Amino acid sequence: MLAGIDYFIVIAYIVGMLLLGLYFKKFVSSSEDYFLGGRSLPFWAIGMSIVVSDIGALDFVGVSGQAYRYGISVGNFDWVGSVPAMLLAAFIFIPYFWRGGMYTIPEYLGRRYNKSVRTIASATWILFFALDLGVLFWASAVLLNVLMGWPIWISIISTAGVVGLYTYFGGITAVIMTDVVQMVIMFIGGFALVFLSLDAVGGWENMVDKISTMGPEYRSHFDIIQPVDTKSPFPWTGILFGLTFVMSNAYMIGNQSIVQRCLTAKNEWHAKASMVFGSALKMFIPILVLFPGLMAVVVHPDLADGDQALPMMIKSILPPGLVGLMFAAFFAGLMSSVDSLLNSTATLFTKDIYEPFIKQDADDKHYLKVGQITTLVLLIMGVATAPISSDFPGIYVAIQTFMSYFQGPLFAILLLGIFWKRTTQWGGLSALVIGIGFAILLNVFKANFFTIEDPFLYISWWSFLLAFIINVTVSLVTKKHTDEELKGLVFSSKIITKNKS
Amino acid sequence: MTEIERLSIVKSAQINQALGVFIFIFGIIITIAMAFTETFVQQITDLVAGLLLMGIGGGMMWRAKTILKKHQSKEVN
Repeated sequence: MLAGIDYFIVIAYIVGMLLLGLYFKKFVSSSEDYFLGGRSLPFWAIGMSIVVSDIGALDFVGVSGQAYRYGISVGNFDWVGSVPAMLLAAFIFIPYFWRGGMYTIPEYLGRRYNKSVRTIASATWILFFALDLGVLFWASAVLLNVLMGWPIWISIISTAGVVGLYTYFGGITAVIMTDVVQMVIMFIGGFALVFLSLDAVGGWENMVDKISTMGPEYRSHFDIIQPVDTKSPFPWTGILFGLTFVMSNAYMIGNQSIVQRCLTAKNEWHAKASMVFGSALKMFIPILVLFPGLMAVVVHPDLADGDQALPMMIKSILPPGLVGLMFAAFFAGLMSSVDSLLNSTATLFTKDIYEPFIKQDADDKHYLKVGQITTLVLLIMGVATAPISSDFPGIYVAIQTFMSYFQGPLFAILLLGIFWKRTTQWGGLSALVIGIGFAILLNVFKANFFTIEDPFLYISWWSFLLAFIINVTVSLVTKKHTDEELKGLVFSSKIITKNKS
Repeated sequence: MTEIERLSIVKSAQINQALGVFIFIFGIIITIAMAFTETFVQQITDLVAGLLLMGIGGGMMWRAKTILKKHQSKEVN
């Protein structure tokens, strides 16, 4: 449990976040303000927010833990697994979404394919986000319970109260700007941890020497490329095909909570620059997250659970003040994940379900209210379902796995939708449905198809490939769209060089 | 410059000012936390982190104030 100055810092941080978030209420007067920040935000804030949303507290702890167990190969997720995809998103996909004045990715799919594709994609995201909320509330409550000694229910309600209030009133502006603060604090605390950890292990070379002589299981800790028969979940084939080609692109291009941030940019240049800036910041994430996990191998060699590596390093290495600040940043990471889910789900529901199916042509204030009420309902659902997550420890992994199966087919139809004029509404719809079904099938019978224990990278690759082939095949035998229907929806080389204001 | 552009600039400056205040206050708290450290290295780490936060926060506040002064005076004119 924290004590003294660190306890004070965590409390001050939570209260400060609430006040800061509530301050942004003054910038919300329309649904565009609520969902897209009035399309007025600068690239640097959006770039920081993308990075913070991508690397939440659970990932922070998890990646350090994997670095402790498997070494630096986990860094692939932030380097080859993010940077190329972010650049592709910046120069090819984001301009179309931004120019089209879109609120959601399914909205693009609806315009490019048909309403069914839009609804299936949106409903899947809503289901995933809603399920994830309970898990994140529970994780936040456990963190507060461990750090502050608060009872679990008080912790859940405090988290929900703080995040709910500023997301309800401040919308995406509050979500992005609280991320900026977290990013600054996480970087300063993270670099302090790396600097002091290096000092504690006697420098980089000393650490490499020590780890290399610790036994055969540590021999490949400094190999960024792992062989196909590695015991880690990161064989190079999975990293290249599953992660680099499919999952990273699907995440950076097809994930509503990431792309929605870019759509808040004040102009197209800022929308593109936000992804480029985010990718530059992403290069530093492995240094902040992975290195402390590696150094923990030397400082705390006998940890039963690798996920304890980062919290143990923070407690044993950082001075008072920064300990509180880093744990506050952890908590803020969880809050950031929750607020992103709340706002993105409210956007998906209002724009893709409520507006087309329940009430069309209502005035803007009505949709703003619907967005806010959806946020409130999701918040209550999240709080109510949080305890269920404690009964099923594997639920978070299950939800993430489910998401990875959806992403392969989704990326296939996004990719063909932008780059191939000939792809049709029936090609897209059949690819999405059959691709998801195939991914579920591969998961159910994974023991028959794969040799590694957790083949999510391979499953995303094969489901992507099948969805791609089905989209092409069905499109070739169905009626193609007219040029007028495709205007502003398919690739043109001008998109790379010309910005629109 | 149109009124919409001016309002957008003022909005950005107000956001930066709020962020700056938050980060600056945390810089002060971290600098004060030096008093609770035990070793010289820990003191220096807290000092550098605190000063960095104060520098970033202070910089954002100063820049926002300059912009607000310029654009709010235009409103008066």
